[in-house]
Amino acid sequence: MIPGGLAVRADKLGKWYGNVLGLSDVSIEIRPGITGLLGPNGAGKSTFMKLITGQLRPSIGTVTIDNQPVWNNPEIFRRVGFCPEQDAFYEDTTGREFLSGLLGLSGYSAAEVRDRSDRALAFVGLEDAADRLIRGYSRGMRQRLKISQAIAHEPDILILDEPLNGLDPLSKRKVIKLIKDYRTEGRTVLVSSHVLPEIEALTQSIVLVHQGKILAEGDIHYIRDLIDAHPHVVAVKTGDGRGLAAKFVGEADVLSVRFDETEGTVLFETRNRDRFFERLTRLAADEGLDVEEITSPDDNLQSVFDYLVGK
Amino acid sequence: MSMAPFLSVYRFSAKIVRRSKRTKVFIAVSVLPVILAVVLQINRLASPGRGLDGLAVFSNVVMGFCLQFLVLLLSLFFGTSITADEVDNKTLTYPATRPVSKTAFILGKYAASVSFLLVLVLTSTVVSFLILMADRLSYGAAWAFLGKSLAALGFGTICYTALFTLAGTFLKKSILFGLFFCFGWENVVQYFPGTTQKFTIMHYLKSLLPGMEAGVGGTEGTGLLKFLLFRQEPTPVVTAVITLVILTAVFAGLACWVFSRKEYLFDE
Repeated sequence: MIPGGLAVRADKLGKWYGNVLGLSDVSIEIRPGITGLLGPNGAGKSTFMKLITGQLRPSIGTVTIDNQPVWNNPEIFRRVGFCPEQDAFYEDTTGREFLSGLLGLSGYSAAEVRDRSDRALAFVGLEDAADRLIRGYSRGMRQRLKISQAIAHEPDILILDEPLNGLDPLSKRKVIKLIKDYRTEGRTVLVSSHVLPEIEALTQSIVLVHQGKILAEGDIHYIRDLIDAHPHVVAVKTGDGRGLAAKFVGEADVLSVRFDETEGTVLFETRNRDRFFERLTRLAADEGLDVEEITSPDDNLQSVFDYLVGK
Repeated sequence: MSMAPFLSVYRFSAKIVRRSKRTKVFIAVSVLPVILAVVLQINRLASPGRGLDGLAVFSNVVMGFCLQFLVLLLSLFFGTSITADEVDNKTLTYPATRPVSKTAFILGKYAASVSFLLVLVLTSTVVSFLILMADRLSYGAAWAFLGKSLAALGFGTICYTALFTLAGTFLKKSILFGLFFCFGWENVVQYFPGTTQKFTIMHYLKSLLPGMEAGVGGTEGTGLLKFLLFRQEPTPVVTAVITLVILTAVFAGLACWVFSRKEYLFDE
């Protein structure tokens, strides 16, 4: 089958769990290529992914893949691969049995099942552990096995819910390469994460989800601009806090400077974090500034979202 | 419905059933009739003339343990787990995102559980029979009783597992319901006089067993659990079989229907 060209479409999609809102009025089209779904924990990413993989029935609106409804339409899953977020397995099977069983459900012959499971296990580097019980796998191995079951049938649409969680740097690189290869082949990939740099490493096209709604969608630069407009707090632990503060108070992008005597840190609020770090690095190198620790207390998605929704 | 998805679910589920920890526990439980048979047979051989007749003991083992306890317990735990395990362990995501209909999924898992339970229950019963009847294997009526016992146990396993599969699809505490049903309804109402007893599955299963009123092969129902053999209004065998088949089909059909329409949420 020639891959690609499949689109996931949601139209006024909503989901309630009793009185609790899971997702509200989401209309979006996910085209071939990589789309990043970004949002803090509990934002509604997983609900959206469960709706587009037919695990949940929409309370309102529609969700289609290739113009076909997803709910109770198992045939669509010949072309869809899904890696769930939850760490769930048939613990008393081996990695190979788990993968072979699921490939069997996709309708492959015994020979194809063997061939595809061998290739998928090799891809995620689990060939040596393939005949061990999943119960004994480490977190990283379990994550890799989840990814292998999503790709073993070479789907046209790959839906990955927090796929890089628990992976070591090497495995992360491999998975990122796989996702990019899928894009090159014209397939559709939807990846969710609550970690911005993970999404940035994968795609330029992102959708921001917050409190069950799409907050913004578009190019990463647009989102970056929104984030950059957000004043960042940078905490610097140093032996000479006042000396350091004196070097920054004159900078136009530094909005405020505070001292935390108990922690021995200086808290800078800046509108341009990159320029701030560049100057700090230069000072440390040129003037031998004694910097023990640099942290960004609000450098997380939640604070960005709070800023974007005007909290 | 194509058979291929059903068979692939069956094969995968059979492997999971065989491997689970629960299975190991229930294999041990299903060996109990064999251990009981060995103890009773040793006792019988040690004091000839005083022990019970082998066939009478076997009929009591079948009635008192296998049919009214073992089959109920195994069907309850394996039937309810068909859906509940997938939801509780959050593994339902995997089959739910494969090109397999929900009907094929439920029926495939049901068939895998039932076939495993049949092997367990019937093997245990046959081995118990061979031990208890070791000195009377040429007795034809005993073999006929064995055949009918296996039929009752087989139908019991198939029908109860279908019922508990259905319970597992829509009840959150299906085990509690099952325990109440097995030991609060089936094991009580079957002794009610009149037609009330026909509201139990056990009534139809017992109707498949021979000589309920008068015992079997001259044993005259002298077993320890003779009171269990009391049957006020037996249903003809053909009617009992048809009823059990219909009940099984209805339970399994409803289980598929509920499972296809219900969405299952994992506890986060």
